[in-house]
This record gives sequence, C-alpha cells and structure tokens, in this order.
Amino acid sequence: MTNSARPGAASRRAFLKGGLAAGAALAAGSAAAGEQVITEVQDWNRYSGEGVDARPYGTPSQFEAHVVRKNVPWLTSDVVSSINFTPLHELEGIITPSGLCFERHHAGIAEIDPKDHRLMINGMVEKPLVFTMADIKRFPRENKVYFLECAANSGMEWRGAQLNGCQFTHGMLHCVMYTGVRLKTLLEEAGVRPEGKWLLAEGADASSMTRSIPLDKALDDCMVAFGMNGEALRPEQGYPLRLVVPGFEGNMWIKWLRRLEIGDQPWQQREETSKYTDLLPSGKARRFTFAMDVKSVITNPSPQAPITHGRGPLVVAGLAWSGNGTIKRVDVSIDGGRNWQTARIDGPSLPKALHRFYYEFDWDGSELFLQSRAIDSDGIVQPTKDDLRAARGSNSIYHNNGIQTWHVNKDGVIENVEIS
Amino acid sequence: MSRFPEAGVLAALFMGAALGFASAQDAALGEAVFAKCKACHAVGPDAKNKVGPHLNGIVGRPAGSAEGYKYSTAMATKGAEGLVWDEATLAPYLADPKGMVKGTKMAFAGIKKPEEVSNLVAYLATFAPDGSKTSADAGAAAPSEKKAEASSQTPAGPQAPVQPAPAAARGEGLKFGLGRLAGEDEIAAWDIDVRPDGKGLPVGRGTVATGMGIYDENCASCHGDFGEAVDRWPVLAGGQGTLQADRPQKTIGSYWPYLSTVYDYVRRAMPFGNARSLSNDDIYALTAYILYLNDVVDDEEFELSNDNLASIRLPNEANFIEDDRSSEPHSRPGQEPCMKDCKPGKAEITMHAAVLDVTPEDSENDEAPAAGIE
Ligand code: HEC
Ligand code: HEC
Repeated sequence: MTNSARPGAASRRAFLKGGLAAGAALAAGSAAAGEQVITEVQDWNRYSGEGVDARPYGTPSQFEAHVVRKNVPWLTSDVVSSINFTPLHELEGIITPSGLCFERHHAGIAEIDPKDHRLMINGMVEKPLVFTMADIKRFPRENKVYFLECAANSGMEWRGAQLNGCQFTHGMLHCVMYTGVRLKTLLEEAGVRPEGKWLLAEGADASSMTRSIPLDKALDDCMVAFGMNGEALRPEQGYPLRLVVPGFEGNMWIKWLRRLEIGDQPWQQREETSKYTDLLPSGKARRFTFAMDVKSVITNPSPQAPITHGRGPLVVAGLAWSGNGTIKRVDVSIDGGRNWQTARIDGPSLPKALHRFYYEFDWDGSELFLQSRAIDSDGIVQPTKDDLRAARGSNSIYHNNGIQTWHVNKDGVIENVEIS
Repeated sequence: MSRFPEAGVLAALFMGAALGFASAQDAALGEAVFAKCKACHAVGPDAKNKVGPHLNGIVGRPAGSAEGYKYSTAMATKGAEGLVWDEATLAPYLADPKGMVKGTKMAFAGIKKPEEVSNLVAYLATFAPDGSKTSADAGAAAPSEKKAEASSQTPAGPQAPVQPAPAAARGEGLKFGLGRLAGEDEIAAWDIDVRPDGKGLPVGRGTVATGMGIYDENCASCHGDFGEAVDRWPVLAGGQGTLQADRPQKTIGSYWPYLSTVYDYVRRAMPFGNARSLSNDDIYALTAYILYLNDVVDDEEFELSNDNLASIRLPNEANFIEDDRSSEPHSRPGQEPCMKDCKPGKAEITMHAAVLDVTPEDSENDEAPAAGIE
C-alpha cells in the first residue's frame, strides 16, 4: 500500500467500524453508543507524526490558533504607534508566554543586530562609558519575575463599561522572568556623581523613547535585561536590551535601551508631560505617577470565555498584582460586592509579579455578578471604580485599578457591566 | 480613464508637462518631492509597508495590490474595478487623494504644483517592483540620491553605524573594568535631550514665518494646516480652557507645561516615520510656528533661538502637581474591607459594555467611542 492510499483506507476502515458500532448500539437498545473518539482508532493513534526537525522552533498547537494578541483599531491613529492586548483569558499560572506579551510601540518594532547595539552611560558620572552587548553579559546577572502593566490599562473604562473582554479591559499586562544585570551595577561602573538625582533612559527606535526615573528607584531594583522567559528578548519587547522598572508604569521600561544619562532634575520629556500625567476635575494634573496600584481581575469566566458547561462545579480564576510588593489576599464576590469570600492564591507569591487566584464553587445556574478585590502587602485594598471617579473624575486616562464586574446570565454568557 | 472625468482633465494637463518623457533630471527633482511621502511610504530594495503601502513598481501596478497591506475599502474597490497606477492616474491622485479616491485613508492634502507631481512620478518610475532601479535610470539617479541623503540627514545621527571603539582608555579603578570611555562625538550624537532650563539646547534660531513653510511641507499632512489634526493624528493646537470640560482637549497650548519638550520631542521623533531628518534651525522654526498656532506669540517675524527658548512660558505650567494619590480616601493602608452584606439590595446593571469592533479583522467601523487611550 502506498502512502497516499492511507487516508482513504483509514476512512474505509472507519466506515466499517462505525457500522459495527452502530449495530452494537442498536442491539443494546437505549444504551448510548460509545464515543467515536474512544471506540475508533484515530489517525494520530495509528500514523506516526512529524519528526523532530519539523518544528525547530516549536509553536503552539494548531488548535490554539485563536490565542493571539489583538489590537483595537480605533484607539490610535496608526498601527506603527499603537497597542495590542495580551489574551489573559487564555493563560494559566503567572508567566506570560513571550509571544503573547502585549505590544506598545511608538514607532514600530526596531530590528537591531546585537553586534550594532551599544549602551551609553553619560551625564553626571565619573566616566561616561559605552558597552557592547558582549560587555553587558560579563557582569553578574540575576533572574527576576516581574509584571509590566501599561499605565493606560483599563483606561478606556473610566467613563463606564466599554470593551467586552478582559483581554481588552486588562490586557496591557504581562509577567515574565527577566535575565539581566542590575542597573546599579552598571551605574557604579560609571560612578554616579553626588549631584545626580535622576536618570534618563532612552531607546534606539525611531521614537527615541525617553523617560526620567528617580535615581533612588534606579539604584534599587531596576535591571537592564537581555533575556525573557529563558531566551533572548523578543524584538517587540526591545531586543536586544530593555530596562526593567519593577512595579512602575510600563512606559518607563524603555525598550531597545541605548542610553542612560544621570542628571540633577527630571527632563520633562513628552511622555511625562503631554502623556502619562493624570488630569483631575480641578484642571490640575498629577505628574510622575510612577507606581502601579494594587489591582485584580477575574480572567475566567469572562466575556471571551463564557461558561459553556452549565450548572455544577465552576472554577473562577484570576490575576492580582501590585507595584508595592506581593498580594496578601484576594476576595471574590458572586453577587456584585454584597458578600465576599476569600479566594485561594496558588503558585509563587513574588513581589511585583502576577499572582494567580482561584475560587471554586457549585454554580446553580443563576445570574452572577463576579468581582475580585485584591489587598497588597502594604495593606492597601483595591478600590471600586466609583471610589476612583469620586477622587479623580473620569478624564485621567491612566491608573484605573478599579474593581471589575462581569455579569453572567443564566446561559453562561458574560458581559462587562457597571452595577449599582 | 473615462471612469474619472476630472482625472482625465488633470491628466491631460500633466501630460503637457512632458510627463511621458521622464528624464533623469525629473527623477532627481522628484526624489526631493518624495520627502513628503517618506513618513508613510518606502521605496527601494528593503522597502516595507509602513503607514501606506510600499511604492516599488507603483507605475504600472494595480491599485490596492501591495502584498500584505490592508487598504481602505475605497482603495480596494478601485483596484477591483480595474484602476491601474500610471502617469495619468497618479497625477490626479497625488494632486487630491480624497478627491479622486473618495474614502481613501491616505491622510495627505495633495501636491499643488503640477511639475512637482510629474517629477515625483518620474522618480517613482525608476523603482522596479522588486525595489531595484530600472535600467534606464539606474545610472542617472544614483548620484543625485547620494547628494540628497547627505544634505538631508544630520551627519552623526543615531542611525549612523557606531564605529568600532577607538583605542579608548579602559576605565581605571572601576569594579569590573568593562566597557570603554564614550567619545565626545558619540555623546554629542546621542545626547540631544533638552530640559526646561534650556540645558541641552543646540545653538540655532528660526522664525514663525520660516516654520510655517517647513510645517506645511513636513507636518500638516498629519497634524493639519493649523495643528487641528487630520483624522486621528494628534492635535497640536487649540483646546485652551477645556481642561475642566467633559471632553478636555490637551494640546501644546492648552496642556503642555514646557516649551523645551516641544523642541526635544520634535527633534527626536518627528516627522513620524522620518525622524532626525530636520536641522536644528528647522526645529527652532517649527517650535516657533507651533507657538504661533497656539497664540502664545502673534508676530510672524518672531524668532526663537537657544537664547530665548527657556524664557518662554506655556500657559498651563502651573497646573502640574506631584503624585498625591496616597492622600485619596481609598488609599489608606490597613482598612479592613467589608465581607458580609456590604451593600443593600440586589445588584442592578447601570451600564453595559457597548460591544465594539474589538476583533482586529473588523476595522471598517471608524467611529471612535467615548474614550480612547492617547
Ligand atoms: C500620512 C501618510 C501618507 C502620506 C504622507 C502619503 N501617503 Fe500615500 N498612502 C497612504 C495610505 C494610508 C495609503 C493607502 C490608501 C488606502 O488604502 O486607501 C496610501 C496610498 C497611496 C497610493 C496607492 C497605492 C496602492 O497600492 O494602491 C499611492 C500611489 C500613494 N499613496 C502615493 C503617495 C505619494 C507619492 C505620496 C507623497 C506625495 C504619499 N502617497 C503620501 C498614506 C500616505
Ligand atoms: C505621518 C504622520 C505625521 C507627520 C507627518 C508628523 N507627525 Fe507629529 N505625530 C504623529 C504621531 C502618530 C504622533 C504620536 C506618536 C506617538 O504617540 O507615539 C505625533 C506626535 C507629535 C507631537 C506630540 C503631540 C502630543 O500631543 O503629545 C508633536 C508636537 C508633533 N507630532 C509634531 C510634529 C511636527 C512638528 C511634525 C513635522 C516636522 C510632525 N509632527 C509630523 C504623526 C505625524
């Protein structure tokens, strides 16, 4: 028999077997026929699959093709300066796969050969220095898991429920393990002069992205990373080098990092004046609102991941995080905040990293209003959206860490809502 | 061309301008005109689709046919109807894109001078579909290309390849002794940041009147003739007095605290898609013109320079405050949240998510809803 005859032969055999199975079912009267995926030998159970070299860099199963980042076209004028979102409702645990980490670029993805990449340290230092990637890899390294959240995450929700899916309401978020060198180590190599109070970080892309960072933070836990999740950074995450600014807004984590300058005052760059400042109802605007506040969201079930199994055991899963440290506790409500039960945190609890929580219960098929509320290691409780609006109005765009409500109807269909 | 009566008339006009006889001379002049397109279009061997499709082989190419580019429905329809780009069809399109292809998403006002259009088309005609130079023009166009590049790029811009380390001294007494000293020219090439106190400003000057010309050439296609913006590109002027309104309009005049940021940002990042292509004097002139568009100065002869930039104040400077989120009532640490019967009555829905075009495939819906990110 030739190879090409195989599928035909298989289906013929399947037909015969199907006929036999049907006969058996008839004979057994009302007894249900066995599931064909069990009673019939399946192709994958008979024929060998592709060999080891078929996928030299492995990709997800073809049946996971729907698990992708997505963009919301109306948000920005052009895809070159735009954003897409992490599919949180498809993810497990606390680590985001590199290829699913949301992207925000201001001038597209810079493609830089590491041979041509340099990191310069200048300004108020004893010795302005230039490092190659090879130089950087000769410093002592560390591995740390941190979340990165864009300050505009949930920013479309200030005026009320807008987007139907946690990918879109909360997906400017990822959490990976970084490998790199402490920023402090590099700055000490150049020798920061005593007048130095601020650091300017700059990217090599066509937006030359820049942010001012307080020197205290730079010398605390910041990293210059070349690895993520065990491999090199992805191009869209700043290959070959990015800044890691744990717990602070994502815009500060300069990608394609090429320069660090020390100065005695902030530079008031566009991304810290025109953008990333939070307008209040008084007309005043807060600036340098760096830290990401305590926040959580139920990722499953959620609008893009409805309940399809009917009543009975239901796993509510979600993520919680805080720029202040770890998550101490997460509470879940199924009645829109009238009553709360404490959820179970599972997996590692690392500072400034995502935490995974679960709340399991028997769904009786009635309407639900699902909410989660996180409390961080500083004892700060995640506020409601109404708390935030009372304090800030609805034009501040950034830092919306309010409690999210998902409405589940009797059919398990879910919608993003705001409630009384 | 009978499908486009107005196009036919225009095309006839341009034909008169010796369009059919594209000489190397025209092509060289056209290359300069192409600067207006560079922010959105690329040509040449490595050309990729940018904001607009790549334009290799555009003369003779059916409309809406660049591989991998997502056209507007309007352009895709024209292509399906049989529109092919050639001298006769490009001329009216480049003169008035939206007039010829109603609904095209090319946010470009159009080129008014017929001879500029014909030179531009002559230049575009020198690129074969694979981006190589067509044989007829290869020799002639090459030298002018070099010239234009040398004059339009800042010499030691960030794109310039970094030279191998000169035998620079290794740092002494440093912990690891890794890296090398940065050269002064290297620092000058990359360190272009400007602070509100004027630190970092290069020597130079430019007037409102000069800025207007540069702006119309390089910026107006996206930001609008008066900074009011085309489509969804950022607005640069207006909005004064709206910060407490329901829909605040945050612009340089209404919101930005410092003028130094305008100089710094335009120099490092604009025009979008062709950053670092303008001179320091150009940026002074543009910054002056943006002040003028925002009514901060009203004299067209006003000249901005490294001497006076730091002394000019923007109206909203005083309205920026430090981060005081921790003073908000809900931010007090150690509050024990309610667990039982926290709110009266059953939860009622007060607002549903408007179901928006969240799927990336469905970009036809151009209605921006209540609030976007910026
Ligand atoms: C602000 C960005 C922008 C500028 C500036 C711009 N274009 Fe475009 N152009 C576009 C976009 C976007 C499209 C796709 C139009 C559509 O799909 O409707 C386009 C389409 C085109 C097309 C049709 C291509 C095709 O495959 O059918 C041509 C030709 C063209 N542009 C030429 C030019 C030239 C020449 C210039 C300079 C004089 C220019 N454009 C300036 C954005 C721009
Ligand atoms: C092809 C379209 C395009 C052109 C041409 C262009 N810009 Fe822009 N401009 C943009 C986009 C897009 C942004 C926002 C980029 C981002 O946020 O990453 C922007 C942002 C700006 C901003 C900041 C706006 C804000 O509110 O923060 C200024 C100022 C600006 N441009 C000035 C200019 C000037 C001056 C020119 C001409 C030299 C120019 N632009 C040419 C597209 C363009």
